[in-house]
Amino acid sequence: MGLKLLTEVLSNVFKRASTIEYPKQPSLALKEHRGQQYADLSKCVGCSLCAVECPSNAITMASLPVKLKHNPRSIYPVIDYGKCIFCYRCVDVCPVKAYVITNYFEIASDRPGNSSELSLNTIPK
Amino acid sequence: MSLIEIPVGPQHPALHEPILLRVRADGERVVGIQVVTGYNHRGVEKLGERSTWSKDVFLYSRICGICNTVHAQTYTQGVEAIGGIEVPPRAQYLRTLVMELERIHSHILICAVMAEVVGFDSLFMLMMRDREPVMMLKELVTGNRVIADYYVLGGVRRDLDEVKKDKILKVLEGVEARVKYYKKIFMEDYTITKRLLGVGVIKPSEAVAYSLVGPTLRGSGVKSDVRADDPYAAYGEIPFNVVTYSDGDSLSRMLVRLDETLESIEMIRYIIKHLPEGPIAPKTPIRTLHEGEAFSRVEAPRGELIYHIVSKGGDKPYRVKVRTPSFNNIINGVIAYRDARIADVPVILTSFDPCISCTERILVIDERNGSTKVLSLKDLSRWGK
Repeated sequence: MGLKLLTEVLSNVFKRASTIEYPKQPSLALKEHRGQQYADLSKCVGCSLCAVECPSNAITMASLPVKLKHNPRSIYPVIDYGKCIFCYRCVDVCPVKAYVITNYFEIASDRPGNSSELSLNTIPK
Repeated sequence: MSLIEIPVGPQHPALHEPILLRVRADGERVVGIQVVTGYNHRGVEKLGERSTWSKDVFLYSRICGICNTVHAQTYTQGVEAIGGIEVPPRAQYLRTLVMELERIHSHILICAVMAEVVGFDSLFMLMMRDREPVMMLKELVTGNRVIADYYVLGGVRRDLDEVKKDKILKVLEGVEARVKYYKKIFMEDYTITKRLLGVGVIKPSEAVAYSLVGPTLRGSGVKSDVRADDPYAAYGEIPFNVVTYSDGDSLSRMLVRLDETLESIEMIRYIIKHLPEGPIAPKTPIRTLHEGEAFSRVEAPRGELIYHIVSKGGDKPYRVKVRTPSFNNIINGVIAYRDARIADVPVILTSFDPCISCTERILVIDERNGSTKVLSLKDLSRWGK
């Protein structure tokens, strides 16, 4: 009977808060977390398998601005992060393991975002 | 005195998902209740027919956020039965591990929500805090806190190493102590017992007659659990007890969940100790199936989940019918509300662990003449305008 939880509540008053002040302190995602992923164009061969296998049809193949020797069709995958469900199906099916995986999750934005810029930065100079 | 009708929902402080309960009350006493669903319908079953077998694993995971791995388990289990695909024993154990982690966090969540519904917010906050390490374990094993996406046809996607095993055992030790403490609170605290004890009583015969499932059924003293009755994954090899409480009220339904959480922790310890070696997925991905039909059932945190999968050959399913546990518990659970007070309505609903997004179907029933009709897509679009 009575206030069973009172001692627990009182002891918590003197403990450190279990929440964090998020924008000031970084929120912790484990390195196993499935975060933002993009294609590394120094490896991508433009086979389009990721675009075919994407469950949410978030990947479209766009044409490359430069000619690359290992990419005969000159196309690369662009992930629409608004549509992506981060299941990493594309990472699994890639025959040349061209996807760069990160645990970065703070990609909410007021503008539509895609992986185009990140991928184009990986073009070998 | 004339009856008054009070709408509880679809937007209501005590409900976390949209559902409408039309409560007919005589003063404080509930005389009748009508459940209206349809606010969350997304057409997932139809969408699955357009996609391929392997992509549908991700789609059916998303029917319900909390019980996503059990949905994936039921679907892959059915597809594997049609295709005659052997799942390696290590993958079976890992699947069981993830399903039990999910059961732990689902049960802690609904107990916390129950504490909030009865107005005990400090208990709610403490339970949600102590649920967080379990979510972290799920992220460690699968790659995400909630939507695990851990399944492929014929196996699982990630392996477990020794470091992760140690981490799981260490965290679960803390969780076990906390759950034992919360069980004591639920059994002894005045605020909880005052609101839950003897509220929404379902007799065992009624629970069976109205085909209630899961902890709701076991809370009425009926020993029924798919994990024990019809073992799937690795459940045939793992020892565990089926928890039952005989009172049939809201409190015994919550205590079933808390006891099951402790059972799940023991099961995870057994899995980690006896994890077999070997591959975790088939070398070649499965793309097409021959003609066939499968009926697959799994014990989700909320009860028995059923998939009926029909294949006509090729790479797409012909039909996938989903019967979720909440569908039975919410709709047929109306028997529990009779003679309750209006303030008890959210408590009784929460004691069923309602998952509204699982429940949605389009089936129009005319109350006056009792006729039913299923709407076509054309009717739906006309209706939506």
